[in-house]
Amino acid sequence: MAALDLRAELDSLVLQLLGDLEELEGKRTVLNARVEEGWLSLAKARYAMGAKSVGPLQYASHMEPQVCLHASEAQEGLQKFKVVRAGVHAPEEVGTREAGLRRRKGPTKTPEPESSEAPQDPLNWFGILVPHSLRQAQASFRDGVLEAKKRKCFLEQVIQCVVSPAAEQEAEDESCLEDWAAAVPAETSAKAI
Amino acid sequence: MAGRGKLIAVIGDEDTVTGFLLGGIGELNKNRHPNFLVVEKDTTINEIEDTFRSLGSLPGSVVEANPNQCDPPLWDEIDSRQFLNRDDIGIILINQYIAEMVRHALDAHQQSIPAVLEIPSKEHPYDAAKDSILRRARGMFTAEDLR
Repeated sequence: MAALDLRAELDSLVLQLLGDLEELEGKRTVLNARVEEGWLSLAKARYAMGAKSVGPLQYASHMEPQVCLHASEAQEGLQKFKVVRAGVHAPEEVGTREAGLRRRKGPTKTPEPESSEAPQDPLNWFGILVPHSLRQAQASFRDGVLEAKKRKCFLEQVIQCVVSPAAEQEAEDESCLEDWAAAVPAETSAKAI
Repeated sequence: MAGRGKLIAVIGDEDTVTGFLLGGIGELNKNRHPNFLVVEKDTTINEIEDTFRSLGSLPGSVVEANPNQCDPPLWDEIDSRQFLNRDDIGIILINQYIAEMVRHALDAHQQSIPAVLEIPSKEHPYDAAKDSILRRARGMFTAEDLR
């Protein structure tokens, strides 16, 4: 009975591993597609702006990340990552709640110190008016970052199954199971006689 | 920095790094420690390996084996450049053809954080047969793929 339970557990782990691998492969395909779209858009932007206008020479001397990962402990010791985008501000609402003209002078508008702390958009490294293809490249790579995060979650589950010491223990258990399985035909042949 | 969350590092060719920096993952702080590395034609394998390494857990590192050969300030700089040594990096994106150059370092990395994701490059499409994690997963079913 213990051997049967062990076999069932092994089967479920293998099925889980295969499912995670399939999901991982799907996420990989999406990530690669996004990255390839981004390269194409970058090439178009380079064609429009000049070969040396889109490259490491334009990187800023000070960069703040706009995307961060926040890790939280999930079940079975897995880490759950959440992508947090910094510097997202709600657009200013101007409209029906203010009847008439807005005041343009006076102390009604308080200064917003948060705007100075918001990370600079990397598009500004390449100029003020950048071609649309460069914005498309940015959007593609931003989606790619999200896909990388999703892929990472499945990758971790696969790593848990493949690399963890538990997998080695189960391999030992499986070898015991194989010995048992080899013994079963001997018993059945003895019964047949 | 701990409250801000973990970063995504990238090691790749010019287009890959530029693209992901456009996506907003880049960090270059006052101490000039970037979370990216642009691999060009003259970039050596040692430099890639030093940047990627280990977050300290890999044995037999050339840099770690001979710390006395480096000046202390330079040693600190090298140590801080190593993505695996930094605890603020959650994911490392690396072009697969670059991963092939430092495959031994990748295979020695067994922790889940930071996760290493291999991505294709413009000139080298993705090959699932070379991915270290998928190779290990395949090794569970095929003895010849098992290291």
